[in-house]
Amino acid sequence: MSRRQRRLALIGSALAVLAAAAALVLTALRDSIVFFHPPTEIVEKAIAPGSRLRVGGLVKEGSLVRGEGRSVRFVVTDTKTDLPVSYAGILPDLFREGQGVVAEGVLQADHSFRADSVLAKHDEKYMPREVADALKKQGLWQHNGADAAPSTQ
Amino acid sequence: MTRAFLALLRRDLILSVRIGGGFELVLIFFLMIVALVPFAVGPDPNLLSRIAPAILWIAALLATLLGLDRLFQADAEDGSLDMLRMARLPLELAALAKMAAHWLASGLLLALAAPALGLLLSLEPAAMLPLSLTLLVGTPALTAIGAIGAALTARMRRGGLLSSILVLPLMLPTLIFGVSATQAALGGGVPFRTPLLMLGAISLIAIVLGAWASAAALRMDD
Amino acid sequence: MTTMFARLANPTVFLVLTRRLLPALAGLTALLFAAGLYLSFAASPADYQQGDTVRIMYVHVPAAWLSMLIYTLIAISALGTLVWRHPLADVAAKTAAPLGACFTLLCLLTGSIWGRPMWGAWWVWDGRLTSVFVLFLIYLGLIALQRTIEDPGQAARAAAIMAIVGFINIPIIKFSVDWWNTLHQPASVFRLGGPSVDPTMLWPLMVMAAAFLFLFVTLHLASMRNELLRRRIRTIALLNSRTQPA
Repeated sequence: MSRRQRRLALIGSALAVLAAAAALVLTALRDSIVFFHPPTEIVEKAIAPGSRLRVGGLVKEGSLVRGEGRSVRFVVTDTKTDLPVSYAGILPDLFREGQGVVAEGVLQADHSFRADSVLAKHDEKYMPREVADALKKQGLWQHNGADAAPSTQ
Repeated sequence: MTRAFLALLRRDLILSVRIGGGFELVLIFFLMIVALVPFAVGPDPNLLSRIAPAILWIAALLATLLGLDRLFQADAEDGSLDMLRMARLPLELAALAKMAAHWLASGLLLALAAPALGLLLSLEPAAMLPLSLTLLVGTPALTAIGAIGAALTARMRRGGLLSSILVLPLMLPTLIFGVSATQAALGGGVPFRTPLLMLGAISLIAIVLGAWASAAALRMDD
Repeated sequence: MTTMFARLANPTVFLVLTRRLLPALAGLTALLFAAGLYLSFAASPADYQQGDTVRIMYVHVPAAWLSMLIYTLIAISALGTLVWRHPLADVAAKTAAPLGACFTLLCLLTGSIWGRPMWGAWWVWDGRLTSVFVLFLIYLGLIALQRTIEDPGQAARAAAIMAIVGFINIPIIKFSVDWWNTLHQPASVFRLGGPSVDPTMLWPLMVMAAAFLFLFVTLHLASMRNELLRRRIRTIALLNSRTQPA
């Protein structure tokens, strides 16, 4: 083989290997690799109680109950499935009903979730309070639940 | 071309098996790190079994790094690197042969030894085969990425530390997917297949990138 | 067009041009910062969810953009070093790396300060935060590599190879929030369907981004000048030591 042919063969095989890598990535991306799991996924995949994981979703409206001291109970939902969560500790500023939240902890046998840390997730929208109020008044407000709790493909 | 490739592979393998080559040192180092951890975190079997995949992966990463700084340095010192650069075999393939030899004498052995060492860390039996599999698929990436650092620092007297600083951040994805694959095999939300495929993809990309970049680095001074 | 670039890229022309340009650039940067700081801290409204804490965005986001932009610039310069072996390409890459590391650190620090009250954590290992942290480490590695190799030509090529290998991280940072469920929110400005930031907050952000960009350009050109002069002195010293043996 001439020098030029050798070079071309080398570049060709390098591209073939990279294409194989891309194919692997695309296959893998069909199941998403995640920081947290939405409640539906936890039920569907029948994750064993006792496993440590992060649950992400919206805090269901009207579900927040404050107990003694700093303990709280609330329900995390992805609008399809609800998961009751109990937690004792300081909640972040952004924690409120209807907001996105990520809780880390242990799944209990009765299908509730005991969190030992709660993080608030905020969406990519930024606007002044007056604008938000005006939008709500005009009925143009869309709370994008899909952003806070994406469904897995 | 194939003959030259195989000859180089054979030479490097023989060098690593003969006295001072260091393949047994890599295994002993791996064993040492694994043995240190129970003393550092306490002998609680539950804790150990939970962090065992992480420990074995970090040990594999460090053991791989250990042998790497001599990958091209020895050849640069005794002049065989200059001969390799003049040979008909493209330098990319020569680098690939040296990477393959290094992997056979480190990554492959580590993958085979991991289940036995897992016993020391009370790794669950169900995780042993998956752990070996992830190491088998993932360690080529460690070798290939490490080769880039080794080639960049081949002509420096004390290149080992700099080389580690350069390549460790690039090894992070391999570590993340390696550990998460082993943990996925133990149950959890993600199927074992997903991180394993990602690990395979990372290895393939790293092999191409490693062969190109280390050859380019070795040609640096002309 | 190419001849104009070739002329600009001549180190001597570059030195003369930048000497005239730098005071104007510095002035413009100061003006943009004055306007940007006023707009973002006094004239812009508080967020409907985050209140006044949202103002951290006006520093955090431009710093984050710059950290990726500077790395991209370094990677392009690296191609210039390896393919065309242009002397200015390496000077640009070498002086951009410390600046890039500074902006990345600023982004990480402000992000941490923002994350504590909003998310409830200084730091989490999600896809976006981890990949930006890796970017910071890659910057540090590049700087170490450039400083360790004595021969400038070899240092340039070594850093260029490393910079191109590390570029793989940039798309990972950009798309990490789309590929994985991260705690970090998705893109607000550069996204399909237009920005999701209200115009009253988008404008201050854009002015601050311009201010940061001009700050970088000013510092970078000044730093490139210094590096070029340093290299000239080095060459002169080498020549002198050869002609006059001690």
